[in-house]
Amino acid sequence: MVGSGAISPRPDRRAFLTAAGVLLAAGLPLRAHAAQPRLAAIDWAMMETAIALGRMPVAATELIRYRADIGQPVIPDAVTDLGLRGAPNFELLQLVRPSLILSSPYYTRFEPRLAEVAPVLSLPFFLPNEAPFAKAAAALHALAAALQDPAAGDRAAARADAALDRARDRLAFHADRPVALVEIGDARHLRAFGFDSLFGSTLARIGLTNAWTSATAFSFLAPVPLERLADMPQATLVIIGPVPPEARRGLARSVLWRALPQVAAGRVHRLPRINAFGGMPSALRLADALAKTLAEAA
Amino acid sequence: MTLGLRMMLSLWGLAAAALWLWAARDLPWPTWPFVPQGQSLDQIRMGWGLMPRGVVALLAGAALGLSGAILQVVLRNPVADPTTLGISAGAQLALVLATVFAPGLLVKGQWPVAMAGGLAAAALVLGIGARRGFAPVAMVIAGMLVGLTASAIATAVTLAQGQYLLSLVIWNGGALVQQDWTGVRHLALLLGLGAMGAALLARPLRVLSIGADGAAGLGLNVTLVRLTAVGLAVVIAAGVSAELGLIAFVGLAAPALARAMGARGIGPLLALSPVLGALILSLSDGLVLAWAGTGGQTFLTGALTGLVGGPLLIWLLPRLRGSTPPGTEAGDGPAPRLARPGPWLAGLAVALVVAAGLLLWIGRVPGGWAILDRESLAAFLPLRLPRLVAAAGAGAALALAGTMLQRLTANPLASPEVLGVSGGAALGYAGTVFALAAPGALILGAGTAAGGALALAVVMAFTARRDMPPERVLLVGIAVSALASAVLSAMIAVGDARAWAILAWLSGSTGAVTLPVALILAGLALVVWMAGLALSRWLALLPLGPAIAGGLGLDPRRARVVLILLAGLATGAATLVTGPLSFVGLMAPHLARRMGLARPADQLTGAALIGAGLMLAADFGARMAGFPYELPLGLFASLIGAPWLIWLMTRRSP
Repeated sequence: MVGSGAISPRPDRRAFLTAAGVLLAAGLPLRAHAAQPRLAAIDWAMMETAIALGRMPVAATELIRYRADIGQPVIPDAVTDLGLRGAPNFELLQLVRPSLILSSPYYTRFEPRLAEVAPVLSLPFFLPNEAPFAKAAAALHALAAALQDPAAGDRAAARADAALDRARDRLAFHADRPVALVEIGDARHLRAFGFDSLFGSTLARIGLTNAWTSATAFSFLAPVPLERLADMPQATLVIIGPVPPEARRGLARSVLWRALPQVAAGRVHRLPRINAFGGMPSALRLADALAKTLAEAA
Repeated sequence: MTLGLRMMLSLWGLAAAALWLWAARDLPWPTWPFVPQGQSLDQIRMGWGLMPRGVVALLAGAALGLSGAILQVVLRNPVADPTTLGISAGAQLALVLATVFAPGLLVKGQWPVAMAGGLAAAALVLGIGARRGFAPVAMVIAGMLVGLTASAIATAVTLAQGQYLLSLVIWNGGALVQQDWTGVRHLALLLGLGAMGAALLARPLRVLSIGADGAAGLGLNVTLVRLTAVGLAVVIAAGVSAELGLIAFVGLAAPALARAMGARGIGPLLALSPVLGALILSLSDGLVLAWAGTGGQTFLTGALTGLVGGPLLIWLLPRLRGSTPPGTEAGDGPAPRLARPGPWLAGLAVALVVAAGLLLWIGRVPGGWAILDRESLAAFLPLRLPRLVAAAGAGAALALAGTMLQRLTANPLASPEVLGVSGGAALGYAGTVFALAAPGALILGAGTAAGGALALAVVMAFTARRDMPPERVLLVGIAVSALASAVLSAMIAVGDARAWAILAWLSGSTGAVTLPVALILAGLALVVWMAGLALSRWLALLPLGPAIAGGLGLDPRRARVVLILLAGLATGAATLVTGPLSFVGLMAPHLARRMGLARPADQLTGAALIGAGLMLAADFGARMAGFPYELPLGLFASLIGAPWLIWLMTRRSP
């Protein structure tokens, strides 16, 4: 999808002198050569995929939140923040002069406007009832192909496979005990990740069983009453991300929570916040964090 | 109580009990002594989960039924309930602010924060009501506007935080899940106090029911009774929502059913409503439990009552009759009147064009501000022009709709937001997002328009009734809006990326507008403006009241239908672009009047120009304030509009 003639930006035009001067003053990377495509990421999963290929985008959305919540992989300060994912700043996007915009079907409604600025590559990661891990892996190759560097895709995929295999070996001892991946909502509810979430499908890749086998709605099910955990007494409970302050006190004095077999037996583990709607780097972070946490506890 | 009624109540009770027992069928009863130590996990699930949940459903339902009954009696309004007074939205805003800015406040639980927020919102609504003698329609509209503002700010803060707040979503959905007996203790205390208060208030309320003048003649302190009654209802409702979250429509449905079952008079109504409320909530929660027990998706009980309440509300609407005392609403009094408005209007138009031109040329870039040169302008024009045109068109359309509504209803608080069209459009958008995994802009637009049109059709169906006074039309609109927001929170309670998309749209954004869409919107505003000019005789006569207008040869029913249809179309089109809330439709007509544009044609034109200007300013502010983060347009317009609204409503009406 290439924007049509009249407004397609040409980097060398004098027209942008005013804006370009300001850009330079702000220390934006204008030195990049035409050989290195300038990527602008609207979608976080696509951004992570690009980073996994070693191609840091020149601009991406909601970096303040990404740096604060997710943090890994690290986004350099030179990357321009394009504003909210739900309302990206199109003028700034144009100023950044991307050569390829990375999007996903979540942002279909913007696509005509994005396509006016630069060609758009939109890859699906999260579709109802489909395992996102395979899509995250396929996206490595698809993006590499679009960047005319298929070798980078192969390398990134090989690195990921090696890391996942290592995690699988370290976690082999845990293979016969299912794992329940949850986020805590409030003192009475949680969010459960099923097979069609990035986390759930990554579990399968590293040889673990997902304790949550019931239906999900689009990647995860929320809100699930806490007592559903009693249906999986054998499972190891893994809490991803922080527990909200209002839930901590409630959980601490909850009769049911303390009586849950996982809690009573001390099979509760905490992981840092990981991007549930990320790409391969998030899958790798989950695998790594699980391997570390579970292996240390064993 | 008739025999049939007793039969029905017992049948309901049996059904609720059967559903609860079905959910509990596999769980063993806890053994004595009733302490968690020494009980099996399943006994704990029963004794500290399911049992308190059943009791909480009864208590909360009764409390909400009581609160709704008190409100409906004192406001003499069959669609009054805790949500219509902005209580729940206030509690929601407080929770959002606390979660985002001061999570430490929540360490003691959500109860104090939610209670404070609900009470603050109610205090604001009561303060406004006090200025207008607690006149029912003014109270309901004030409640609706305060509620809309609070939830707009809450949405915007949630969005700006960029983080999906699961705990808030759960709270919005109203969950009855329990893990110990603290909730039961809180709610039992609340209900006990509420029941005592209601018993004390029953007699003064009965005296009040003969009318404010008559009651005052009998020596009753009307204001004190109204204030105490509303205050009591607010505390009960805020307490329930602080403990469990939003549970929609129980407070509305219980008194309505009580009345339909033949509860005549205030005493029986206050006594029967809590019973019915308890049964309704228990039955709903039983359904949720049974559904979850069959392995279905978990549903939040409050969301379910919202879905059940919708049809009920539609069924109630025809029963909205003149139970509101007439003549309690007054306008703003005489406004200045310009002898020659022509030059003023021309000046406004020129100012608008100049402002639009300026906004095209200047803007922020990383590191500072920039004035575009000619060629950069050529590159940026396709980005800036659509949103400027769309913002101006939306502002003008809303201002025209507001002018027509305010003249039609002779009510200074009539605003396009309370017409229900925006709520319907929001539902249409949400429905499209949920039905299709990745809808394109065109399909989304069509879905949104369909939702708005459906809501407009419902409002029109009631507008067309011969005996429908105009302010009742507003109540119909408010009812439709309340329904929309209940269903919306049920949808958002699912809490995935689709809910995020809906939240983003609710806050309004012109970012994704294309030039053709913007031009269509501007064209529609133009058409509505010309239609308004053609109808200016109606607009001049209608504020004089239906009797005078009819005497002068106007068919009030036809005028009502045509004007509501025009206003609805304009609102719906603007909603597609700005999201459901802006207040521009409320402000612009007032500003035009204050300027002295008194004749309908002048007021229409002036309001349209002012509305367009206000929306341009809001759009500029929304884009520049948090650069490069584009803040929601609807929020920014509300930030301009809300202080104006408060000022307007707290002025004593002459």
